[in-house]
Amino acid sequence: MSIQEIKNQEITSSQGADSAIEMITIIVDGFEVSVPKGTLVIRAAEKLGIQIPRFCDHPLLDPVGACRQCLVDIEINGRKFPKPQASCTIPVEPGMVVNTQLTSPVAEKAQKGVMELLLINHPLDCPVCDKGGECPLQNQAMSNGGGESRYEGVKRTFEKPINISSQVLLDRERCILCARCTRFSEQIAGDPFITLNERGALQQVGIYEKEPFQSYFSGNTVQICPVGALTGASYRFRARPFDLVSTPSACEHCASGCDMRVDVRRGKTLRRLAGDDSTVNEEWSCDKGRWAFKYEHRDRLTSPLIRNESGELVEASWPEALAHAAHGLSINRAAVLVGGRSTIEDAYGYSKFARIALNTNDIDFRSRTSSDEERNFLAALLLGKSVTYLDIDKADQVILLGFEPEEESPIIFLRIFKQVRKRGLKVSALAPFTSRGNEKLKATVIKNVGNEVEDISKFALTNRSVILVGERLAEVSGALTAALKLAEQSGAKLAWIPRRAGERGALEAGAIGNLLPGARQVADPKARQDIERAWGSGPLPTQTGLSTDQILDALHKGEIEALLVGGVDPGDISASAIDGLRKAFVVSLEIRNSAMSEVADVVLPVAAVVEKSGSFLDWQGRARKFEAAVTNSLHRSDVRILSILADEIGRPINLGTVEKAAKELASFGDGSSDQKSALASLSADQAKIKEPGKNQAILTSWRLLLDNGSLQEHEPNLAGTAHPCVAVISDDRANRLGVVDGDLIKISNSNGEIILPLQIGDIDPRAIWIPRNSENSRPLLALKSATHSLVSVVKA
Amino acid sequence: MNQPISSPYSDKDLAVMDSIVKRYPRTRSAIMPLLHYLQSIEGYVTETGIETIAQILSLESAEVNAVATFYTQYKRKPVGQYHVGICTNTLCAVMGGDAIYQSVLEHLGIENDGVTDDGKVSVEHIECNAACDYAPVVMANWEFYDNQNVESAKDLVDSMRQGNPPPPTRGPDRLVTWKEASAVLAGINDGLAHQGVQAGDPTLLGLKIAKNSKGGE
Repeated sequence: MSIQEIKNQEITSSQGADSAIEMITIIVDGFEVSVPKGTLVIRAAEKLGIQIPRFCDHPLLDPVGACRQCLVDIEINGRKFPKPQASCTIPVEPGMVVNTQLTSPVAEKAQKGVMELLLINHPLDCPVCDKGGECPLQNQAMSNGGGESRYEGVKRTFEKPINISSQVLLDRERCILCARCTRFSEQIAGDPFITLNERGALQQVGIYEKEPFQSYFSGNTVQICPVGALTGASYRFRARPFDLVSTPSACEHCASGCDMRVDVRRGKTLRRLAGDDSTVNEEWSCDKGRWAFKYEHRDRLTSPLIRNESGELVEASWPEALAHAAHGLSINRAAVLVGGRSTIEDAYGYSKFARIALNTNDIDFRSRTSSDEERNFLAALLLGKSVTYLDIDKADQVILLGFEPEEESPIIFLRIFKQVRKRGLKVSALAPFTSRGNEKLKATVIKNVGNEVEDISKFALTNRSVILVGERLAEVSGALTAALKLAEQSGAKLAWIPRRAGERGALEAGAIGNLLPGARQVADPKARQDIERAWGSGPLPTQTGLSTDQILDALHKGEIEALLVGGVDPGDISASAIDGLRKAFVVSLEIRNSAMSEVADVVLPVAAVVEKSGSFLDWQGRARKFEAAVTNSLHRSDVRILSILADEIGRPINLGTVEKAAKELASFGDGSSDQKSALASLSADQAKIKEPGKNQAILTSWRLLLDNGSLQEHEPNLAGTAHPCVAVISDDRANRLGVVDGDLIKISNSNGEIILPLQIGDIDPRAIWIPRNSENSRPLLALKSATHSLVSVVKA
Repeated sequence: MNQPISSPYSDKDLAVMDSIVKRYPRTRSAIMPLLHYLQSIEGYVTETGIETIAQILSLESAEVNAVATFYTQYKRKPVGQYHVGICTNTLCAVMGGDAIYQSVLEHLGIENDGVTDDGKVSVEHIECNAACDYAPVVMANWEFYDNQNVESAKDLVDSMRQGNPPPPTRGPDRLVTWKEASAVLAGINDGLAHQGVQAGDPTLLGLKIAKNSKGGE
């Protein structure tokens, strides 16, 4: 039981919510301490501030007693254990008296002996080891070791390092066989691809030769390795820990909301580690969060760019670029597209900029496939109760709708997996096929593409159930409405899990056509007045704004002539989005050269997460604030640039700093009271898809965690552990086509084709699944459809 | 994904493996008997075998591999039809085990864990088999040959190469082959359990002395 769990239990017991926790009092080194029954001795000692040395012990992993470093003397009711015991495996008992190394010469000698044994084959190569300077073995050898080794023999050596995946390296002779990495992989990630092999002096951590350590969570093993045995390929030999400046940060990759730590040396991120937040990511992160950050350094925009008369983007000064942008935005009818990666402060900047500087509600943060139904759903969502990780911990069942946790929000996956493993939490998923993630969650998968709405209403839930709705559910018309209805009828909690880190914040900042900041409806005059008063502005535009799709449509038709975009990839929205953008005057706020540079008329460089402060709202709606890790950057946050641009237009938004934006946004509070009436117009019918013919299938797809996402560029080691890019079809279809696993198949429609190796899977026989944004598989661009359309499937 | 097991093993073998799995409330418990059963088919644990067990038990191959490499009774390369283990732990060693071990290897012209060219005999030094009362002991396919010496051990391996080994000192009336012994370890009854002595005189000697002595001195 971890300190945090003890705290939580104490809180629960003091509230008298659950049945009272039985407390047990023991004596450690002469001091009394009371802890809940089941607490391990090592943890009880921690509570007194007594640190017993340890390696294998980890509060979030099952006890194993592998390293023997935590030996202490124990007696119970006057009866002494005949020899020292591992304090990390023994729970407290009434009448227990524990003497640690501080008071027992026997325990001290035992610990020194263990340390000496652990070091016999250890190379003592701290000066060239990544872990040197932050190594529990190094530290505890100093604090609790013998100082000098008596060993004079030849140390065992191994070939080193070996790649157990493209991103994790193993130096076997440094390993002390604590089994933290193998236990993590099995117990936390559900990916038991590394094991302790062989025995005795030859025992070593290893993979099965043909199966590398292909886990999305493998980086955690590097972080929890108490010695330098596991190192990250991207960080190896790059830095000494004492040269790094560490800053708490937030992860920009998804909406899980992880606490991160960024380690910077001379203005450059060298590594990122999982932070410790027991209510969110505990002490874990996914490999994308840990290892995808080189985008910060590569292809960066350093100066504003303006498209000149011959159509080339050329460098320009800030005043020139701002004047040009302001002119273009103010003489045309303009709209705003905010990428899903904005901080809430930046999103608020866009939201206010659209209303004040551009006098429009035509703003949308959903730079992806989306629907009007979704917009109403999101407005309704903000009126509901918030859902948290804790609700997953307590749920009687979890329903996944249009959501693949392992791929789309990996920390939610870990949380569900923990409960599945601990108490057999029931998980059901409405999905085209049983993915590996769903297999690990032992989920009941309802495989039905095309009739989702009908299936959603069939779930039997209670008020302890949790419905997790992915952003992809918006792609099935009527499904979001059905999910809302299901939650209302059963009393179950409903949460919406966007894929990107900024979407929830952008929603609350009002970066969408139907909402103003603080969940106020545009259509509600009183809500508009609230905002007008706060902003000291004239009347706000009254008409509900256009959505992403409508804005693009209007661009094509020439009804909107100018566009302000912030971190948008047009390829995420639709194949033809880029053509619409070509017709308009586009002002792009970007951190790097991107597809937007092709069509932008003015490009204004902005700061990356590491260079700015701000906060991300995770799927729970909880803010994680962060400060700039790189403090001497010349780049500025979007909101600051927008504020200057608004000044230039002559309609100031007065958001000169991130802090100002945060303060102003916080002052609005929640304006969502009594607005349910505005939500009546949700549609509930699912568009019927034609039954697929003989060589046809219904296309489905989602993004894999590791794919062609632009924030993952320049990370070859990370890319090496991406899931294979395959098309999943049913056994039946494979037989009909006369193909087997690994054969190439062609997926096509009138717009184009995609050729992929196939994998036979447990899939709705009418459907085919392919990755949405991987090498050779970008259906939105190639087929102009990502899901729920008929495609032809033949042998390639 | 509940796909049918794809492996080169016969339907009969797969059916036996299935029956082994069904013996246990937790399927993972079947790893060890299944590994023995694979040795009864192929003589050693192959990669195909490990991957098949992983499929049957819904485990990763790495997990099965970890078990297969931990226990020395699982062989990762072929052994002889008769696998000879010579005890070189303290008591057997001083009673002649070390000499037997050296001379048998020299006699067969192989190294530790080696197999004779004809594939009949392999030799490894083994840890204590709880037969110190008959030291020095030699085992063949986990059956005891008690009170050996250099000459008797050489004769024993010669007879194995000729295909007519004598019956074990204790145990069944004939020496079973490595594969047959592996099947027994997989829990498949060969009907020979009742044959041979169970506890011989040297084993019971201490008990006899204790019973005869007054006051248990």
